[in-house]
Amino acid sequence: MKTWLSRFGLVIALLCIGTALSIVKPVFLTFPNLLNVVRQISINGILAVGVTYVLLTGGVDLSLGSVVALSGVVAAGFAHPGEWPVVVPVAAGVFVGAACGGINGLVVTKGRVAPFIVTLGMMTAARGVALVVSGGKPVSNLGESFRWIGSGAVPVIVFLAVSCVSWVVLLNLRLGRHLYAVGGNENAARASGINVEGVKLFAYTICGALAGLGGVVLAARITTGQPNAGVGYELDAIAAVVIGGTSLSGGVGGVGGTIIGALLMGVINNGLDLLNVSSYYQAIVKGIIIVGAVWLDQRKEKT
Amino acid sequence: MKRFLAFILALALSGCAQHKSDEGHVLIGVSLLNLSNEFIVMLHRAMETRAAELGVKLIVNDAQRSADRQVQQIETFIAQRVDAIILNPCEVEASSPAVEKAIAAGIPIINVNSETRAVPTAFVGSRDEESARLAIEYIARRLDGRGNVVMMHGFMGQAAQIKRDRGAKDTLAKFPGLKLIAEQSAEWDRAKAMSLMENWIQSLGAKINAVFAQNDEMAMGALLALEQAGLKDKVIVVGVDAISDALQAVKAGRLDATVFQDARGQGQGAVDLVVKILRKQPFEKEVYIPFQLVTRENVGEYMK
Repeated sequence: MKTWLSRFGLVIALLCIGTALSIVKPVFLTFPNLLNVVRQISINGILAVGVTYVLLTGGVDLSLGSVVALSGVVAAGFAHPGEWPVVVPVAAGVFVGAACGGINGLVVTKGRVAPFIVTLGMMTAARGVALVVSGGKPVSNLGESFRWIGSGAVPVIVFLAVSCVSWVVLLNLRLGRHLYAVGGNENAARASGINVEGVKLFAYTICGALAGLGGVVLAARITTGQPNAGVGYELDAIAAVVIGGTSLSGGVGGVGGTIIGALLMGVINNGLDLLNVSSYYQAIVKGIIIVGAVWLDQRKEKT
Repeated sequence: MKRFLAFILALALSGCAQHKSDEGHVLIGVSLLNLSNEFIVMLHRAMETRAAELGVKLIVNDAQRSADRQVQQIETFIAQRVDAIILNPCEVEASSPAVEKAIAAGIPIINVNSETRAVPTAFVGSRDEESARLAIEYIARRLDGRGNVVMMHGFMGQAAQIKRDRGAKDTLAKFPGLKLIAEQSAEWDRAKAMSLMENWIQSLGAKINAVFAQNDEMAMGALLALEQAGLKDKVIVVGVDAISDALQAVKAGRLDATVFQDARGQGQGAVDLVVKILRKQPFEKEVYIPFQLVTRENVGEYMK
């Protein structure tokens, strides 16, 4: 109940911005535009939900953007028309992502290297592998059924499905409670018999798999696998999560906030474009909102 | 995997090539902006092909967009006593020390594709303003000089963005009937361009008659958004660079036009120029390879 209350501020902020936008630009509040907003946030949303797992354990994943590129390129390689059924490229992309996440998790838990460093390394290495696999060129000529994944409301449905499953996992399963326990106090969690290493490995692997899924959806949406895609996506995803109230030090937060955080970023982006605000100012506004949202959220928790 | 092995081998080989070979081979150091960019990859291939034809040897380094790394690479070339250097500069100012150092060491250096503030021995490239001029003139022709245009910028502040912006605005000024109703950066990125176009379709909708995207990636993104909104037949989309995706889209009648920047011409031209300089033949200090407008009528010539 308390987490719900602390999230109220964010929902109110979202509603205020939405109302203001629909007064200034009535087109904001039309169905096609709202569908636009949710479609545009769906990839960032999928990544943000994934990185929520990792942030909850007190870790971080900086490799998301590169994993998006790598899995997109790999998926696209299997997605030429008439070669494989559509499940193959999707599974390949998700698998590559999960493998990257799994490696991150293993090095963090077994190798005891700080997550920041491990995933920074993966960020560089996965980008390199994406370039090697694709020969530095975008992989295009993708089949109709694969491109369908990125069209219309499909990315939104994928995002919703990912969110719902994660909601159940985090709030209702034992595994979810263990994630919070590990992030809250690792030693206490270990003392109470939780398999801390296993939980962390799970978090990084899921995060990687969802980044892989995000890469698949992105490749389908822009109809190519691009080795340069996804630069900076990790920061957008982490921003959405922290705007949504998940603590960077772990143990506090959840998927609900992440979704609101991603929505808020999408609405602001859409609104600034609708108002034709210059790119220079867009960047400034976004920066202020990220810090402002977190600042407000923390004040509420203290009082 | 094969590519990976080739990469390792290339690394090992460039490591061995510490000294100028004694067999009288001409050795040219090349520092490229970024080998994960399709255009630079094509530029690189053209150089390698030409170098093999002329029997000169290239040492190719990737600066990965870092001017700092680029300057270090040039310093290494100077220490290796290469015969000449081809520089594909990362930045106008920050890559200038590379040029100054080579000149001071008495090694001829030519810039390819983009410029530095410091004056090199010679320059091979294209005028970016011209690409935007060709694109806007094409839009003007298609619209009979009357209509609303939106423009997608690259990364704000990069040389190509500044020049394509200037070229577009100068040309738009010649057509009083063409109005620029919105402009925004999509950072050269297809996914960002797609979102931007979707948002513009909401706010401007049927008012848009033409889109000028400063590169093809963004043009492809705009095109996808327009197609999904069922508006493509009402809006003209033009990009720049002639990447293979864009050429295919032009051929299929989806993208209206792109502007071809001649990577092969620039790459070959750079190697030719270096060889001329080394052979002490007369050479031009500035070689401009023209841009070319690509439409459905002539796209066949550019597809290989």
